[in-house]
Amino acid sequence: MLSRTERTSALQWLGKQLFNREDPAAFFDPLLERINPMWVQQYTPARVERIEDETADTKTFVLKPAKRWDGFKAGQHVNICIDIDGVRRNRTFSLSSAPAQWHSNGMVTLTIKRLPGGLVTNWMHDNLKPGATIGLGEAFGDFLIPEAGEPLLYIAGGSGITPVLSQLETLAAANYEAPVTLLYFVRTQADIIAAQKLYELRQNWDTLTLNIIATNESETPRFLKDVDLDEVSGIEQRRCYLCGPKGLMDLATALLTQRGISEERMHSTFFAAPKAALDTDALGGEVRFSTSDIRVSSEGDAPLLDIAEAAKLSPRYGCRMGICHQCSCKKTSGTVVNRLTGKSSGPGEENIQLCVSVPQGPVTVEL
Amino acid sequence: MKQMNEAQLNELEKDLNAIRDEVLADLGERDANYIRRVVRLHRALEVGGRVMMPFGFIPPVFVAATAMLGVSKIIENMEIGHNVMHGQYDWMNDPSLHSQTYEWDTVCTGDSWRLTHNYEHHTYTNIIGKDRDYGYALLRLSDDEKWRPAHSLQFINYILLSVFFQWGVGLHELEFERIRRGEISLKEKLPFLKGFFRKGGRQAFKDYVFFPLITFPVAPIVLAGNIGANLIRNLWSSTVIFCGHFTQDAETFTEEECEGESKGHWYLRQLTGSSNFSGNRFVHLLSGHLSYQMEHHVFPDLPAHRYPEISEKVQAVCKKHGIHYNTGSFARQYGTVLKRILSYSLPDRLREKWTALPQSA
Ligand code: FES
Repeated sequence: MLSRTERTSALQWLGKQLFNREDPAAFFDPLLERINPMWVQQYTPARVERIEDETADTKTFVLKPAKRWDGFKAGQHVNICIDIDGVRRNRTFSLSSAPAQWHSNGMVTLTIKRLPGGLVTNWMHDNLKPGATIGLGEAFGDFLIPEAGEPLLYIAGGSGITPVLSQLETLAAANYEAPVTLLYFVRTQADIIAAQKLYELRQNWDTLTLNIIATNESETPRFLKDVDLDEVSGIEQRRCYLCGPKGLMDLATALLTQRGISEERMHSTFFAAPKAALDTDALGGEVRFSTSDIRVSSEGDAPLLDIAEAAKLSPRYGCRMGICHQCSCKKTSGTVVNRLTGKSSGPGEENIQLCVSVPQGPVTVEL
Repeated sequence: MKQMNEAQLNELEKDLNAIRDEVLADLGERDANYIRRVVRLHRALEVGGRVMMPFGFIPPVFVAATAMLGVSKIIENMEIGHNVMHGQYDWMNDPSLHSQTYEWDTVCTGDSWRLTHNYEHHTYTNIIGKDRDYGYALLRLSDDEKWRPAHSLQFINYILLSVFFQWGVGLHELEFERIRRGEISLKEKLPFLKGFFRKGGRQAFKDYVFFPLITFPVAPIVLAGNIGANLIRNLWSSTVIFCGHFTQDAETFTEEECEGESKGHWYLRQLTGSSNFSGNRFVHLLSGHLSYQMEHHVFPDLPAHRYPEISEKVQAVCKKHGIHYNTGSFARQYGTVLKRILSYSLPDRLREKWTALPQSA
């Protein structure tokens, strides 16, 4: 008897013979979509069940992914895809619900803030209605809760609270016994996301210390200060989780480092393309897109994705910040610098992410 | 080619760019809905044809199933495959409609097509010696090439090319004529041949082995229907493609006159080297809108279903610049193609005599 994997690879081989594509099942999508949008194979469809208001500019979207979705761990994110005016847009959001909820009723939530000028977030707020389906990718990310019962410190800002919500809920359900502190920075009291859930957690779970700090309610903005950290008992022993705007994360990293907390005990996740300091002298060079036979020169100030788009190519992309790998593409020669890590690649053939790779000398990319 | 000075060419370039920019700015849901509807139509026809084929022992069902499968292949090759691979729908960011990864239902691999068609043919359109699509290195279609006795039988070659068109297109990149002349070795073409055999094998397996086998008791019927469907597709697509550049008024160019040409000059060459034919919506759909070959050559990456509306503007531009807008009924245009193939099979002296005769067509 064929094992399951053998069977699927045999089926895949046959599918490729018959439909000339890597995802043979998706050949039928155009028809399936008409019958039931939840049957689409090309991505995992998720139906919007409910939409709840959190604050004036933040909503929670309750989704029911198709059964075959693999699930997630607290703190992970997903790519979603939505067609807006004919264009498929991919974006990355973190899941704000706990995995336990997905196991019990098959629902997950995304808590999304309108970004000023943000195409997708605004469209979701204005146009997405219950009953619609959106595409969901598999969850990914290593912003995960610790295995051992260590004391924890969360520093979150604004909508950076979303992965933290998922983690806190998971910890509370497991009756996590070590002390957990959340420092949550919001602009004003009205901007607290999931306020009710947070208060409930504090009520029912004694090891949680909740400190919500409004940054913009006084004359001068009130940012994270050393005293906030002084109040956290036994801070040196805590494992720290940071999520929020870059300014807050940088500040928190600096303050925690001063207290001797090692990099290894700090976990962060971010939602803006970080521009790691690059040694700009060494950057730039001729870029050759070999499939389309286009050559352009690069000053070293833009990632390959932007360079390709400026050259009228349309490579696939998703998050544009180095996490979804939608933009992965084969580099056949030359080296690139990864903007996230600041590290140089090897000189040979390898897969790189266009959106965070900056040419370092002449580069050839299969595009 | 019509002579235009540099200023006129710049003006032409500006006029055509303006049309292009206008369409680009307007791309959106309408175009996405269109191509998705066509894809749905293709899937429905293919599934329908395949399901009905085993019942082909009932003659009308056989005809219907074969026609459905044939039309489904035509739509997939012409309106979907060809246009998607030109990048007409890349802006949709839908991986199943992406130019660099699309693989179509024909022997020619997507990669080979992107090279020989999108790059070579669309860059060097109708330049004798550089555009290998001109006559497919098989037919003599202009007096740029000297007559050889073998050319007198070229109508037979033409028929064979049409019947086996998908294999011809699939082998195009082999550059057999250059191998024969010893300019390149067969060994250089091994990577290409590997891809060709893999894709060709897959296509043959599907239509001539797999589907007949799983319907074993009626295998001969299914086999015959599948052969018929491929034949329908081959004849139609070769005919459409021949009407694109080999009609009476479609011009050819020499390498010298195109050396270092400007964008305006390139535009002019695309317009004068291509030809359209008229027809109803169905004809346009089934030809992948190559019935608007001139528009397609000027704007190969704009969604093809836009060509009818673009055509009005292109006609106005042609009129303004005194460029012949080469169109006519399908029968008329195809007639001139056949005449061209036949007349160039004759030695020059005979051909001149023949064309000097009063023609009724
Ligand atoms: S676009 Fe997401 S990793 Fe590059």
